[in-house]
Amino acid sequence: MGHGTPEWIFIGVVVAILIWVGAEAWNVEHALEYAPPNSETIRVVGQQWFWSFQHADGTQEINELHVKEGVPYRFEIVSTDVIHSFNIPDFAMLMDAVPGRVNTMWNIFDEPGEYLIECREYCGLLHQDMRARLFVEPNTGNTTATSQSESEPTISQGTGTATVIAPGGSQVGSSGTGTMRVVEPGNLTQSESSSNVRTGNTSNATTPGTGAGSANGTSAAGSSVTLSIPVGAATPGNPAYSPDPLTVSKGEVITVSNDDTAPHTVTSGASPGDADAGQLFDTSIMMPAGTADIDTSTIDPGEYTYHCTVHPFMTGTLTVQ
Amino acid sequence: MVLELKKPRPMWEIIFSTHHTDIGLLYIIASMVALFAGGGLAMAIRAELFIPGVQIFEGQADFARFFTVHGTTLLFLWLIPFGAGAGNYLIPIMVRYKDMAWPKLNAVAFWMIPPCMFLLWGGFADTTWNAYPPYSTLKAPGPAADMWIVALKLLGLSSVLGAINFTVTILKMKHPDLPLMKMSLFSWATLVTSLMIIVAIPTFAASLVMLYTDRLGVSGFFNPEMGGDPIAYQHLFWFTFHPEVYIFVLPAIGMMYEMIPTFSRKPLFSYYSGVIALIVIAVIGFGSWAHHMFAVGMSFTEKTVFMVGTLAAVPSSAMHVFNFLATMWGGRIKFAAPMLFSVGGILLFFSAGAGGVVNTAMPLDFLTHDSYWVVGHMHLFIMGTITLAFIGFIYYLFPLITGRMYDQRLAKIHFVLTFVGIALIFGVQHILGLYGMPRRVIDYLPISELIIMNQIASFGGWAIGTSFILFLYNMIKSAMFGKPADPKDPFELGKGVEYYYDYARRDPHH
Repeated sequence: MGHGTPEWIFIGVVVAILIWVGAEAWNVEHALEYAPPNSETIRVVGQQWFWSFQHADGTQEINELHVKEGVPYRFEIVSTDVIHSFNIPDFAMLMDAVPGRVNTMWNIFDEPGEYLIECREYCGLLHQDMRARLFVEPNTGNTTATSQSESEPTISQGTGTATVIAPGGSQVGSSGTGTMRVVEPGNLTQSESSSNVRTGNTSNATTPGTGAGSANGTSAAGSSVTLSIPVGAATPGNPAYSPDPLTVSKGEVITVSNDDTAPHTVTSGASPGDADAGQLFDTSIMMPAGTADIDTSTIDPGEYTYHCTVHPFMTGTLTVQ
Repeated sequence: MVLELKKPRPMWEIIFSTHHTDIGLLYIIASMVALFAGGGLAMAIRAELFIPGVQIFEGQADFARFFTVHGTTLLFLWLIPFGAGAGNYLIPIMVRYKDMAWPKLNAVAFWMIPPCMFLLWGGFADTTWNAYPPYSTLKAPGPAADMWIVALKLLGLSSVLGAINFTVTILKMKHPDLPLMKMSLFSWATLVTSLMIIVAIPTFAASLVMLYTDRLGVSGFFNPEMGGDPIAYQHLFWFTFHPEVYIFVLPAIGMMYEMIPTFSRKPLFSYYSGVIALIVIAVIGFGSWAHHMFAVGMSFTEKTVFMVGTLAAVPSSAMHVFNFLATMWGGRIKFAAPMLFSVGGILLFFSAGAGGVVNTAMPLDFLTHDSYWVVGHMHLFIMGTITLAFIGFIYYLFPLITGRMYDQRLAKIHFVLTFVGIALIFGVQHILGLYGMPRRVIDYLPISELIIMNQIASFGGWAIGTSFILFLYNMIKSAMFGKPADPKDPFELGKGVEYYYDYARRDPHH
C-alpha cells in the first residue's frame, strides 16, 4: 500500500458522503419547491414589528393566523420596511420578507394546534417581540375555508385593493415561485378607508399639537375630544401622543387619529406585558390615517397610562375626571 | 514592560520601528487587545441570556450594539490582525529575506488598525456585523453606523496592503535557493490567504461605499423605492465574506502545520496534499457564497448551484484533517500547550465541518437558518478551530518572542477550561437552534428547555472567560518573570528535533 493510498480512500469516502447528501437534498427540495395548483394564497406582510395576514377572501388578521388542517396554503411574503424573516419553527418554514420582492412558500398543516410565528432576521428595536400565533383548526370536511366570522380579531377589509403592485399593475398571486417582482412598499397596507372595527368618523386630520386646546377644557358628556398620534411617533424619543397628558371628563368620547405613517394602537396599561394591558380600553391596530373612538363612559375617574402595542416605548397618560 | 530578554529595548523603539518582527509584535498585541475586549462583550451577552426577559441591557437596541461590536471586533480586529502578525513575524524568516518587501507600507498597514478600533468602539453600531440594508441604510441610528462603515473600509484597505506585501515578499523576495515547493506550509497558507484577500475584499469595499451613499440618501442601490435591491448587497457582502471564512481559517491551518509535526516529532505526512488542498480551497471558496442566502427567495437552480459549490469545498478541508491525523499517527507526541490547542482545534474543525454539510443541504438550511444553530456552527469554526489554533500558536511563539517560557501548568488549565467551555456553549447552541430560538434576540420564550440550555451555554461562556483571564495573567507574568527558554529547544522535545526559527533573526537591524 503506497503512501498516498489511505488518503485517496479517505477522500473517496468523503466525496461519496457529500454526493449522497447533495442528492438527497436535491430530491427533497425539488419536491418542496412547487406549490400544489389548488393551494390557497395567504399574503404575509412583515413590518416593524408585527405580522399581518391577508386571506384570499379578503379577511385580514394581525399577529394571528387561522388556517385549516390539511389544506395546501401558499404564502406570499412581503415587507414594507426592512428585511424580516417569516418563520414557523414547528413546521420548519422559513422565508425572508424582503422589501421590493414577493417571496413564496407553501405548506400543508397536518396537526391542529397553536404554534409560534417569529421573525428570524434582525429588524431593529423590537425584533425579539415580533411574534405571532398560528392556529391550525381541525378540518371539518369542507376544504374551501371561509374563516370570516370565527376569528376574533378579524378586520374586515372592504375591497381587495391592498394587493395591487405598482409596475405593470398585475395582481400578486398569479404566478410561480420566482421571486423577483418589484412592489412598491408603501402601497401594500394602506387601505383608503380606515379598517378598524370601532371606526366612527373619518373626519379631522388634526395636525400634531393643535389638539391641545380642546382637550384641556371640561366639555360636556357625550362630546368628542381628539387624541392625535403625530408623524414620527414610531421613532423613540419623538412625541408619541398629542396632547399628552390628556384630560377628559367621564362620558366624553376620545377620537384617536393615527397621523403617522406606521400602524399604532392606544391600549391601556404601561406596557404590553402588563396583566391588565388592554382591559380598560384598546383601539387595536389603527393603520396610517385610521381613526378609532374610545368611550370613557365606562371608565372610572382616575389617571391611567396607555401605550402602543406595536411600539411599547410610546406611552401616554389619560386622566378621567 | 520588557518584552525581549536578550536585548531589552524601550517600548517606543518597538512602536516606531518598521522591522518585521516589531510590526508583527504590534499586530499580535493589538489583536490580543481586541480579543479580550470582544470577549468581554460576549460575557455580558451570555449574562443577559441567562434567564428570559430583559435584565442587564436597556432593550434590544443596546443588545444589538453589543453583539454587533462583539462580532466585528473579533472577526476584523482579532482574526485578521493576528494572522497578519504571525505572518509578519515568520514569513521573512521562512523565505530567508531580511524584512518584508516594503517595510514602511507594512507599518502603515498596521497603523490603520488602532484608528479603526476607536471608530468601531466609539460608534458602537447596532447594524449587526453583516449590516443588511434597508435596516442599515434607512433605520440604523447614526453616526454609529457611519463610523462602522468607515472603520470597515479602513480595515479592508489595511488588509489589502498587508496582503500585497506578503504576496510580493513570498513570490519575489524569497531566497533563490528556496523553491516554492520547499517553502513551509505556513508560508503557503499566508500566500494563498493574501491572494484571496486581494480578490475578495474589493467587492465589499465597493458595497461599503454604496451603503454609505445610500445612508446619505443620494443613491438607492439597495433601496427598492429608488429602484435598488437589498439582495444585491447580500450578494456583494457574501462574495467577500464567504471567502473571508477561508481567509480566517487558512492561517490557522498553516499554524497547525507548523505545530503538529514538531510536537509529533515526525515529518509531515504529505506536503503535497497540504499545498494542493490550500490552492483548491482558494479557488472553490469563491463559488459558494450564496449558501448564506437560501432563504432570501432564491430560485431552485441558484440554490442547487450554491449547494454543490459548498459541498465541493469540503474535501479539501477533509484533506487537511487527514494530513494532521496521519502526521500524528505513530508519532511520539508531546502534549505541550500548543499541541493540545492544535488537537482540540482539529476535533472541533471536524465537528464544525460536519455541521456545515448539514447547513448547506437545501431543506435543512431552512430549519437552521438565522437560528442559534448558525451561531453555534459559526463559533465552532471561529472560536473552536481558528482561535484555538491561534492561541496555541501564541504559546508556540512565546519563547521566540520573549526568550522566556510561559507557565506550562496554567497553559494546560487554560486549554481544558476553554475546550470544555466551547463544547458546552456551542454544542448546546446547535440544539437551541433546532428548538427554533432565533439568533440576535435579547429575550426568548420562557420554555424550560430553552432556559436550561441557555444557562448551560452561559456557564460554558463564562468558563472560557475565566480561562482567558488565566491566559492573560500567564502571558504578562511570564513575559516579565518567566524562566529563560532554551533558544534551540524551548519545549524540551529532545535530540533530533530542531526548534524551527532562528532566534537571532528576530533582532532588528535597521
